[in-house]
Amino acid sequence: MVGQAELDRRKIVGINAETVTNVTSTDFPGQWPGEDHSWDLDFFKRTFNVKFHSNDQFDSSFSLIGLDASVANAFRRILIAEVPTVAIEDIFVIHNTSIIQDEVLCHRMGLIPFRGSREGLRWMHWFQKGNDEDPEGSTHNDYNVCILNLQIECAWQAGGQMRAVNGETDPNKLYNNHNVYARDIIYEPTGQQITRFADDPVRAANPDILIAKLRPGQKINMRMYAMKGIGADHAKFSPVATASYRLLPTIDILKPIIGPDAEKFARCFPKGVIGLEPITREEGQREGSEYKGHEGEMKAVVEDTMRDTVSRECLRHAELKDKVKLGRVRDHFIFKVESTGQWESDELFLESVKLLKIKAQRMKRALAALMR
Amino acid sequence: MSGYVPPTSTAAATTTTSTGEGRSVDYTCGDCNAAVSLKRGEPIRCRSCGHRVLYKQRTNRMVQFEAR
Ligand SMILES: [Zn+2]
Repeated sequence: MVGQAELDRRKIVGINAETVTNVTSTDFPGQWPGEDHSWDLDFFKRTFNVKFHSNDQFDSSFSLIGLDASVANAFRRILIAEVPTVAIEDIFVIHNTSIIQDEVLCHRMGLIPFRGSREGLRWMHWFQKGNDEDPEGSTHNDYNVCILNLQIECAWQAGGQMRAVNGETDPNKLYNNHNVYARDIIYEPTGQQITRFADDPVRAANPDILIAKLRPGQKINMRMYAMKGIGADHAKFSPVATASYRLLPTIDILKPIIGPDAEKFARCFPKGVIGLEPITREEGQREGSEYKGHEGEMKAVVEDTMRDTVSRECLRHAELKDKVKLGRVRDHFIFKVESTGQWESDELFLESVKLLKIKAQRMKRALAALMR
Repeated sequence: MSGYVPPTSTAAATTTTSTGEGRSVDYTCGDCNAAVSLKRGEPIRCRSCGHRVLYKQRTNRMVQFEAR
């Protein structure tokens, strides 16, 4: 039986000035003689841990501790590419005399994140475009298409022309509707959508997105069909601004770092990672202690490795590099999920877990069918 | 509900049909921005300022794009 210290040591990825060591995990069967590392649900339940650091509506950070990189990475990839959202897909440009070309304007429209009733969005069906196998595709219906309209025309304010002649250049004092914002997009509910989106209509998650600028006489009139899709098809459907993880850094001070060196050491890291503490009388007088004779001086202590960016700056200084060992914990994933506004961040993560579960069940069924 | 059904009057939106002489076409003056309506054979000239550069307006015909 191996001790906990040895197990903990195996979890650390070594970080040196130019190299990274001990990268791959070794907790699988056949790796260590006499040890059984086969996957066990009870063991996983006992050791797995989730810790929230912050959980704002659209920005959450949490740690998943005690799982394999393959699973953590699966969650990240599902978050980015497979959790569905609704985005504008087809646009009918009836009029566009703005400076921005139809193609570019339509591309911009697609990238605007939309929100609306969660229940309604969950209820929405997929819209299948026509392809070789099914040239017709889905028909447009109330359950797979949200209709949005953008109709806006710029005009002079009362007396604006006169002010322009007199040298006024501030567009806010001259024109009306000269900035087209995402809030100008009007939702047109059809059929069942009228009741399903009654309390929480489909609208831009960020109403202040600037879509285009207009000048008097220019106008935009478009009709847009928003549909459900996934990030693997197009990035506009991705529900996250980004979802990422990093491994928890470790800093081990091997030999005491004292006095001016301690201050220099602390400056090698972001604020709050390394703290300075005075060496106590007891430490300074103990026989054989590394602090002997340094009573009252400052020593460097590790305060919060979570804040570290692992810049390796401390390894560039000759007086520090042999006194410290940097590393990362291989099974401690610090996730950061930033939502674009359609779903809440913590909700999104649960959605990714659900999707991975469905994938696993599909795999299981396929394997069962193979064995029959 | 299937696809987009353009308004029936789309084709003749910028051109207004008048009796006898045929259609008149709307332009915009390049100098004073006034709307100028011209018939076939008329001099190309703004009625309010006399400027001789007129801009044709964008068609009202619908164009479909994919937001990608
Ligand atoms: Zn003119």
